Amino acid sequence: MLRRGFQVAGRLSQHRVLPGVPQVLPRLILTSTFGSSTDSLVSRFCLEKTGLKDYALPNASWCPDMLSLYHELQEKTKTDGWVKLPSFKSNRDHIQGLKLPLGLAVPSDERDWRIFTRCIQVEGQGYEYVIFFHPSKKKSICLFQPGPYLEGAPGFAHGGSLAAMMDETFSKTAYLAGQGLLTVSLSIRFKHLIPVGSLAVLNVDVEKIEDQKVYMSCIAQSRDQQTVYAKCSGKEVLSPSPRLCPATITHRTNGRKNAEDAVPSRDPAS
Amino acid sequence: MLRSGALRLCPPGALRGPRGSASPPARESRPPPRSFASEAIRVDLSLPNPSWSKDMRLLFDQFMKKTEDGSWKRLPSYKYVSPQSTEVKTFFPDAKPVKGADMPQAQLFPRSLEEGRGFEYAMFHNHVENRTVCIFQGGPYLQGASGFLHGGAIATMMDSTLGACALRAGGVAMTANLNINFRRPIPLCSVVVINSQLDKVEGRKLFVSCNVQSVDGKTLHSEATSLFVKLNPKKV
Repeated sequence: MLRRGFQVAGRLSQHRVLPGVPQVLPRLILTSTFGSSTDSLVSRFCLEKTGLKDYALPNASWCPDMLSLYHELQEKTKTDGWVKLPSFKSNRDHIQGLKLPLGLAVPSDERDWRIFTRCIQVEGQGYEYVIFFHPSKKKSICLFQPGPYLEGAPGFAHGGSLAAMMDETFSKTAYLAGQGLLTVSLSIRFKHLIPVGSLAVLNVDVEKIEDQKVYMSCIAQSRDQQTVYAKCSGKEVLSPSPRLCPATITHRTNGRKNAEDAVPSRDPAS
Repeated sequence: MLRSGALRLCPPGALRGPRGSASPPARESRPPPRSFASEAIRVDLSLPNPSWSKDMRLLFDQFMKKTEDGSWKRLPSYKYVSPQSTEVKTFFPDAKPVKGADMPQAQLFPRSLEEGRGFEYAMFHNHVENRTVCIFQGGPYLQGASGFLHGGAIATMMDSTLGACALRAGGVAMTANLNINFRRPIPLCSVVVINSQLDKVEGRKLFVSCNVQSVDGKTLHSEATSLFVKLNPKKV
């Protein structure tokens, strides 16, 4: 199934080759040894790759909140063991040289492919984000600023854009923490809308890792933590085998503070 | 999510002329300021364009046939959500264009990428069965794991389809919960069918579910259940 999946069905009108902006990545200084697999995964993931632009760096569109929190976390990369993850235009650039499960290979013809969360490359128009990961705590913090091209309700980010940001943070965290690769499930409870151009801080925790599955939770909130935008739980697997996908559907109660009446939990599907 | 069928306005530079001759909107510089009132042009993007694959066109034609007896209706889809629309003014009275001026810098997310690069889709609604079907072709800018569609892109389309179903069934509503199970990855640039239906209504709550299948119906790619809550104009 997987090998067949690499045959591209649609034909596009043209291929567009984007000019690459060569940028030297900051050198990663590792204080720990390569004892644990997380450390070695992180070091390979963050290897300096010349000729590739790292989009997870400040630019003129970043709001003051995002800039100041970024600098705070950058300081912590020197003292507290946090690591800033690079972010390239395509996942292929990330996985070059990485160990992949059997059956998953890098297709050859994808000059024009972009990772979804870097689909809009004009500064400030789409996704502006940076992910910091802590190898030993197995936590991530993603600073996310949605641009006007991510709009849903007027002036606010589309729910799907936040879902994608959460999925992307889960994906990178799961890979580095437990070699998770594909998302199996996502359960999101939306609480408040994120105004376009403002900062949402996503805190991701790895709850547990068992049976080749990585279970994670995420809270997206404002910087002062006064407004919770959404909560999410997710599961990633290492192997893309369909046997690992459960048949049951999980349901969640909605604990919205501003709901007039309590939302009852739904009956699980049998 | 909020989807309004009201009038949409496009900056002159992004006009879509005859299919095949549209130029991508300028992305490298800000569009010049213009007023909403000057022109009122609807550009419906839920129609075939050169980037649509054969599968996509076949499906579209199949569903267009179904609209002939009136049971199914094709839902138009636009690039911009106008702050001037009645629904927006009712529920989002403070909504204003981002960064001041009256230029529509904002774009509806699934319509903000260039033709063929991102989301190519068309939705059809059956008001008798309260079902909305979306035919979706994910382009090369929606990559996730190499060669496959990003989970977030699928989530975005599911949210949009579920939202369209909720909107037609109960009026303006926002996503409260979205629970997705991904079963099989979707190859990039392939076509899938998202079938959504309204399960039940309890007061202001709308329970909507959907599944994502391959064109031949043999592969179940993912499933989702969701809760939408109708907006109360007095409280927002």
